[in-house]
Amino acid sequence: MHIENEDDLDKIVICPKCFTLHQETPIQDGTKALCTQCGSILYRYDSNLAKNGLALSITALIFLILANMFPIVSIDILGHEQYLNITKTFLTLFDNGFFIVGFFVMFLIFVFPFLITILYIILFALLYFKVGEHISKNILVLISHIEPWSMAEIFLVSILVALVKLIGYAQIHMGVSFWALIAYVIFDIYITRSIKISEIWMLRSRVYNK
Amino acid sequence: MIEIDEKDLIRCPVCNAVNINKGKNNICRRCQSSIYKHTKFRTEKSWAYLITAMIAYIPANLYPMLITSQFGHQEGSTILGGVILLWEHGSYPIAMVIFFASIMIPILKFMILIYLLISVKYPLGKDKKINKHKLFYLTELIGPWSMIDVFVVAILAGLIHMANIQILAGTASTAFALSVFFTLLSAHAFDEQLIQEHNRG
Repeated sequence: MHIENEDDLDKIVICPKCFTLHQETPIQDGTKALCTQCGSILYRYDSNLAKNGLALSITALIFLILANMFPIVSIDILGHEQYLNITKTFLTLFDNGFFIVGFFVMFLIFVFPFLITILYIILFALLYFKVGEHISKNILVLISHIEPWSMAEIFLVSILVALVKLIGYAQIHMGVSFWALIAYVIFDIYITRSIKISEIWMLRSRVYNK
Repeated sequence: MIEIDEKDLIRCPVCNAVNINKGKNNICRRCQSSIYKHTKFRTEKSWAYLITAMIAYIPANLYPMLITSQFGHQEGSTILGGVILLWEHGSYPIAMVIFFASIMIPILKFMILIYLLISVKYPLGKDKKINKHKLFYLTELIGPWSMIDVFVVAILAGLIHMANIQILAGTASTAFALSVFFTLLSAHAFDEQLIQEHNRG
């Protein structure tokens, strides 16, 4: 294989799933390129990625704030009303002396989701206004490191599992934050999983090379 | 004009950019992260995390995960005990979810990582029928889901704490959380490039 210089390597894409080499080809706006071997998405081209990404990540942050403001669920057990919100989940663990689990839960469902959503807002804003070439690179690297540790969607499934365990013992009332958390998880999955990090790197090279 | 071998192309684990393998001290040309610095200790770091995770998994199964305290009477239930209890009560889907998340996924992940770590060093994994890249991708995908049980314990403990009835987290929750944490670290420390080099010969 012959290439002119190292920057030509940007034209080569490795499939994230099966490691097959592909040559990047220009595709139409709004379409996606698939791996010939395993059919997983290699990259998509969306001319409004920065704008859409900014809007989506701001929406996600609003829902995340709502999810932290109100009770997720309240139960009625033997005449006692009990409620749960996200911060109470790990604060109770701290109260009971489970500091290691408490710290894990705090970072996985509270600190990292907030951090990652705010980082995405800053990143898309920088790309939208075409400023901060160096900062955007650092943010992208930081996002790649933090992203595997943001587990809001797993927490959502855990809530459902925990509630099914309680059926029969208590009356369960869903709170406002539960629905806000569902909305946040949908937006979060779209931003972090559906928009591939390599698509943002591609966008970044387009934005700053013009 | 540079002449390169297709097999010398490596992927940056941080930003997925394609780079040329220059031997040691590869620095990604796009994000400047170093790509697999160690040339001598390539699987050892991953092994160390994996063994730590497996050691932590033993107390996670022996000690109670959840302690129910009713009118001063304390009763603990282990992971497997909880699954059996749910099954007997007829909540089959939830019993299955907990069983998969807390028992199947961790053990499956241990086995896949052991297989990958052994197969990239010894001729055991020479057959190319199994795509090891896909296997590794799978472990990264399913790995975090074993945190479900820890979150469930945290939710129940946060929700039910009254004077008479209280649910407390057990010792196993710490051990289990640590086990999941170290398994994730082990998968992250695994050098995907080794699969490629091993397949080449």
